[in-house]
Amino acid sequence: MHKLTRPTLLSFAALAIAVLLSVGVGSVAIPPKETLEVLWNTLQGTAPTSDINHTYQIILLTLRLPRTILMIMTGAALAGSGCAYQGLFQNPLADPYLIGAASGAGLGAIISLTLGWPASPFSYLAVPMTAFISALLTVFLVFQLAKVKKTLPVTNLILAGVAVSSFVTALTSFLLINASGELRRAVVWLLGGSTMAGWKPVLGQLPYVLVGLIGLSAYAYKLNVLQFGDEQALQLGINVNRARTRIVVFATLSTAAAVAFTGVIGFVGLIIPHILRRVTGGDMRRLLPFSMIGGAIFLVLADVVARVIVAPQELPVGIITSLCGAPFFLFILRRSKEKDW
Amino acid sequence: MQLRVSIDQAGYDQSATIRNIHFTLQEGQLLAVIGPNGSGKTTLIRAISQVLPYDEGQYHINGTNLKEASENSRAQLMAVVPQSTYVPPSFLVREVVLMGRTPYMNWNGKSSRVDEKFVQEAMEQTDVKKFEDQLCGELSAGERQRVILARALAQNTPVLLMDEPTSHLDLRYQIEFLELTRTLGINNGKTVLVAMHDLNLAARFGDLFLAMKNGSTDAFGSAQDVLLPEKLSEIYDLAVRVIKLPDGGSTVVIPQ
Amino acid sequence: MKKFILLITISIIISAAFSACSPSIAAVSAEISIMDSLEKQITLDQPAAKIVTLSPPITEMLYAIDAGDQVIARDSFSDYPEAALSLPDIGGGFAEYDLETIISLEPDLVIAGGINTVELVQSLEDLGLTVYYLANPFDLEGTFASIEALGILSGHEDQAKELVDGLRSRVDAVSTILENVEDKPTVYYELDATDVAKPYTPGPNTFYTSLIGMAGGENIGEKLEFEWAQISLEQLLVEDPDLILLGDAMWGVTPESVAERAGWGSLTAVTNGIVLPFDDNLIARIGPRQVDGLEALAKIFHPDLFK
Repeated sequence: MHKLTRPTLLSFAALAIAVLLSVGVGSVAIPPKETLEVLWNTLQGTAPTSDINHTYQIILLTLRLPRTILMIMTGAALAGSGCAYQGLFQNPLADPYLIGAASGAGLGAIISLTLGWPASPFSYLAVPMTAFISALLTVFLVFQLAKVKKTLPVTNLILAGVAVSSFVTALTSFLLINASGELRRAVVWLLGGSTMAGWKPVLGQLPYVLVGLIGLSAYAYKLNVLQFGDEQALQLGINVNRARTRIVVFATLSTAAAVAFTGVIGFVGLIIPHILRRVTGGDMRRLLPFSMIGGAIFLVLADVVARVIVAPQELPVGIITSLCGAPFFLFILRRSKEKDW
Repeated sequence: MQLRVSIDQAGYDQSATIRNIHFTLQEGQLLAVIGPNGSGKTTLIRAISQVLPYDEGQYHINGTNLKEASENSRAQLMAVVPQSTYVPPSFLVREVVLMGRTPYMNWNGKSSRVDEKFVQEAMEQTDVKKFEDQLCGELSAGERQRVILARALAQNTPVLLMDEPTSHLDLRYQIEFLELTRTLGINNGKTVLVAMHDLNLAARFGDLFLAMKNGSTDAFGSAQDVLLPEKLSEIYDLAVRVIKLPDGGSTVVIPQ
Repeated sequence: MKKFILLITISIIISAAFSACSPSIAAVSAEISIMDSLEKQITLDQPAAKIVTLSPPITEMLYAIDAGDQVIARDSFSDYPEAALSLPDIGGGFAEYDLETIISLEPDLVIAGGINTVELVQSLEDLGLTVYYLANPFDLEGTFASIEALGILSGHEDQAKELVDGLRSRVDAVSTILENVEDKPTVYYELDATDVAKPYTPGPNTFYTSLIGMAGGENIGEKLEFEWAQISLEQLLVEDPDLILLGDAMWGVTPESVAERAGWGSLTAVTNGIVLPFDDNLIARIGPRQVDGLEALAKIFHPDLFK
């Protein structure tokens, strides 16, 4: 039996530490005592006392805290979806972007950015909303292409996903070339990171990530059985097509919401479930929630690094996660080679 | 329970792979399905378990039309042991066997005491209890096959469909398992269909025989009707001799 | 299918609910009230005393109207005038802006320029700051209007007017001299030649085209489609401009290196040696130096008329 009490406690502790780091670190040095006091007051729901510098309060409560929570949700969404897809496609290298959510969101964002909405105080919403809807539509297209009568074969999903993603990416690149003025904005978006500060992106993401992740968790056991292949899953009583469809819907909701507000952040959805499998085993009822917390911790920490490493400038967090990707794969490669010896 | 199979044609697409197969199995009977590779044995099992894309057959278990039943009800009526011995490596043996109880558990796979009882029993019957906390990735092909068998037993269905379930097993386990199956048939009334490669094992354990060639029925009936040298030679494209051993029981099939 | 439509409907409703939750701007009678390029009414009780600029032209123009003392921080690319370099750097450029430092400086006004995104403006406003967004103008009149707007915001209206009047008269002087000039040299202005077979040159509707025109020249890039346009070497050879201006001189491009480029040797401008480095900031950087740029261009195009 995989004893999971210690890993569970460890992960919550790690999350708490990551949150404290993320809220405590920034280009303005805020004394830790004040940070803790503001956090404590917030948890209790009381207003902070007036002797705490007003500016500090703004920084902590309207910049760092929402950003931290945004990273938690995005990390959980990406790692959770990645985990589900690794189960669904029976491929430990699957990631949440496999069937077009990221490329679709990218296209939506770039379209929105290059269309040049009349710059109004509300146009900032246009980008994430367009990205979100575009992601959903892209996955829907992949779905329809992959369907064979009433079944949804896994191979078709992957093939359709690759085909549609390639096309969408090409379209996006084409638009980028003609973007000229908005190029910087578009590139920053594509590199991943929070382009919007404050609580708005958090509230925007929340409903979809919540629904998506809860939905995925409900299908954790079925994901276990699906690992044996469609035939055996059917023979064990699972309605494979319905399960697969719903898992794709929930995963897409969370991924699309994540990408819409924080751009394309790679490797979280791939690395975290892959690593944690070693700790929790293959049971999705454990791997899935652990992946979500693991993804949250990883992304919050990556974000801290992104903010600190070239201070006062800030790197897009997608760069940090990508940097982690290389050593990860090399490590996997080494282990794989060792096995063959 | 009674299993009634009536297939005009069925397969993976319109060009049906199997055709013209009709039989009824009574409670407690063991049907050995024999025939060379590619004769359609696996396709037949897929057809009965309702996983074939193109199927114009009729299937009934004790009167229940399988085509109209839900996945869950079907899974409570029949369990299938596939040919493949692949098990996702990161599951524990115990977890895999417990999956046999899926049709009885809730959405989260929560097991009741009854479920646990069947799992323990199945693991003991297939002698995998000693591995119960090991990862399936660490087992040999034969051990994995026993785990899958255990899963099917845990499913506790009146009908069992098995596709070459003993191909990777040592002779001892082959005999043990088929004996177990036959016992379950006799004591629990399980109706069993086993596709087999080994004619001698088939001869030893089968009550009825279905010989398939090129996707359809070549012969169906008891040993006297099917295990005939001319028939077998024709089916397997090899001259064979069928010998009844002097001790009165066993029939043996050997090449000429 | 239904599920997706439902999801999309829900998202639209939720986002619409969002748009409704934005703070309303109270109409107060105050000392200063001016509308920015996003059509927001910016009101200040008094001229801004602590200004953070997010874009180099803004910084430059503020200093030009004597409001430099009121600027407390600037973006990383604000490098003119030199006094600006000693101000705190709050990011920008190729990375994110440092919102925390901006807030901690407690500015009473943040001025954003054309290179800044709407998201940034919104984020700063969400943090409680007053942000004036000054979009990039397309012609000198736009530049003058920008200077005047900044004059109002910083309480230096008089200096702004004085500056603008002076600039206008210099512009008028140039156009008067060029009034009857018929012969206009054709110009290729180089923005970026990383790919020497397809370099970047300014297209129509840019300051480059208008200033070059006002200086008595003709930008060959005007015929192209985009504002930041690529011209192929073949096209360039066909156009065979009279002059080549190297706007990328600040990145190290020299007339000698141009002559060495494959295929460029046959251009008239190259053989005649009329390949000149040009300080791009004199055109690209919105502000008073653009008139310097106009005069510089005029001198290059019509040396006999401008001593």
